[in-house]
Amino acid sequence: MFKRITIAFIAFALLAFVSCAKAPEQEMQKANTSIEAARTAEAEDYAPDAYGIAMDTLNAANAAKTEADGKFALFRSYSKAKEMFVRAEALANEAASAAQAEKERVKAEVEGLLTQAKAVLDSADAALKKAPKGKGSKADIELIKGDLDAANASYTDAQNDFTAGKYKSAKAKLEAAMQKAQAVITEIEQAKAKKAGK
Amino acid sequence: MRGSSERTTPAVDFVCIGQEVSLSLKFRFLLVAVLIVILFSVLVFLFLPCQHPPVASLENAKLALKQAAKTGALRYKKQFYRSAEKLMRDGWMEMAHQNGRLAPFRNYEVADSILKLAAETAHEADREARERIRYLDSLAQSERADLQNELLLCREALDGSLANFKAEHYWTSADLSLQVSELLITKGEYEEACQTVAKGRESLHRLIEILAEYANDEAQKINVWRRWVQETLTESRTKGTYVVIVDKSAHKTYLIRAGNLVHTYDCEVGYNSVHQKLFAGDGATPEGKYQISAVKPHGSKYYKALLINYPNALDKKRFQENKKRGIISLRARIGGLIEIHGEGGRNEDWTDGCIALTNSEMDHIMQYVTVGTPVTIVRRSDLWP
Repeated sequence: MFKRITIAFIAFALLAFVSCAKAPEQEMQKANTSIEAARTAEAEDYAPDAYGIAMDTLNAANAAKTEADGKFALFRSYSKAKEMFVRAEALANEAASAAQAEKERVKAEVEGLLTQAKAVLDSADAALKKAPKGKGSKADIELIKGDLDAANASYTDAQNDFTAGKYKSAKAKLEAAMQKAQAVITEIEQAKAKKAGK
Repeated sequence: MRGSSERTTPAVDFVCIGQEVSLSLKFRFLLVAVLIVILFSVLVFLFLPCQHPPVASLENAKLALKQAAKTGALRYKKQFYRSAEKLMRDGWMEMAHQNGRLAPFRNYEVADSILKLAAETAHEADREARERIRYLDSLAQSERADLQNELLLCREALDGSLANFKAEHYWTSADLSLQVSELLITKGEYEEACQTVAKGRESLHRLIEILAEYANDEAQKINVWRRWVQETLTESRTKGTYVVIVDKSAHKTYLIRAGNLVHTYDCEVGYNSVHQKLFAGDGATPEGKYQISAVKPHGSKYYKALLINYPNALDKKRFQENKKRGIISLRARIGGLIEIHGEGGRNEDWTDGCIALTNSEMDHIMQYVTVGTPVTIVRRSDLWP
């Protein structure tokens, strides 16, 4: 009787050991892959909070696994570590998506500014063509041309920055170009008004 | 009692009973031994002192890293930040490793010291990032200020001289770089701001080169202009007649009689008079020795006018040479109809090449000059008045 109880107990312990002592290698691999993908997607720059939470969860999962590794086989359980690796993978995927979305948003914002700036520059160019001409206005027109050239150069620089992914720099150059072009339009309108009122 | 088929000897019965007694005792001994081991283990776990995991150190390290990231350590002190990150991870794993051991055998000292080092490194990264940002901000501001001051000086030089659109183009370019750099600084893009200022500085250097080119051109021609002025004054002195000298840079027209200054008029010249007139429509007032070829007291679009005989022989010769050398287009025309006329007083160079006086000053000068009166136009006269 005692022998049967002992054998049953050992068999049960072995079963428990087999079922709970398997390290979550697959889940760990997936979580690491997702974090790497998030890093490649520049989540650290574009979705720093989401990326931070994902990294924290991955670190906690690794800690839980390390803790379980150190325990005696009979008492070892990787269920907590496994759950955390799965959560880390999901969070990393979310961070990558958030980064992508933010990048798209910033890119779209700058693209919008590029379109806007082009329209203002074209308007300034058109206004210059219709600027009051004649002796006395040529000096002003030459200066205005210089201003417009500078604004166009700033626009071209902004385009190059946009292509290189330097969105903040592109934004600043576009704002300056638009301000300059708008000033040109205003100056021409004032000259036209002055001539009309003369 | 057992049946006849199950009969055993008294000796065998005694051995079986002995064996049963022996097994029961062994089981009891084993049970007692197990109980003692369990009791001992419980006593050890309860009363043996064991360390607590350095959770507080871990939280401090995490907070320090978060703060460093917020400051911009990842951008400005990346290596430091990554080191702190690695230390935090290593400390965390060491803590977890100890957690996995039996309580009496846990030692968190190493984990604690690694985590404390992680926090220190993160704080250092934070401090250094702040310093770097302060430095870059200060550098960008200082570079901007330098460029702004130099641009102001150039602006004064440009305003005080004849209109120079080539130079103006570079001035505007440098000025726009200043505006862009200001915007970049407000967005915290200090390195980009410095690069933009550097670009503005390139435009400024080009502007200074152009100003130097024109100064050099003037230095080479100043003796020619001096000679023209001297010859004109000598002619006036010798003949006792009226002559007119125009100094483009000074924006002055001088009326001289018998070698003596009679009157000085403020004047405005061509909108691009920084150099000699090259062709029709270039906006430059010609430089040379001329004469009044017609007097127009009426019918001028600009109140009254005195036509001068541009182009003279020298102008025609220069024009042909410039075409041959490719300095001007083969389709260019030499131009003409250069006058001294009224409607001046606008305080800027606005004519296509003529010399503009105010109407009252036109009235004054026309009392004294006539067809044939010499008119000498120079870019700069340091001898007169």
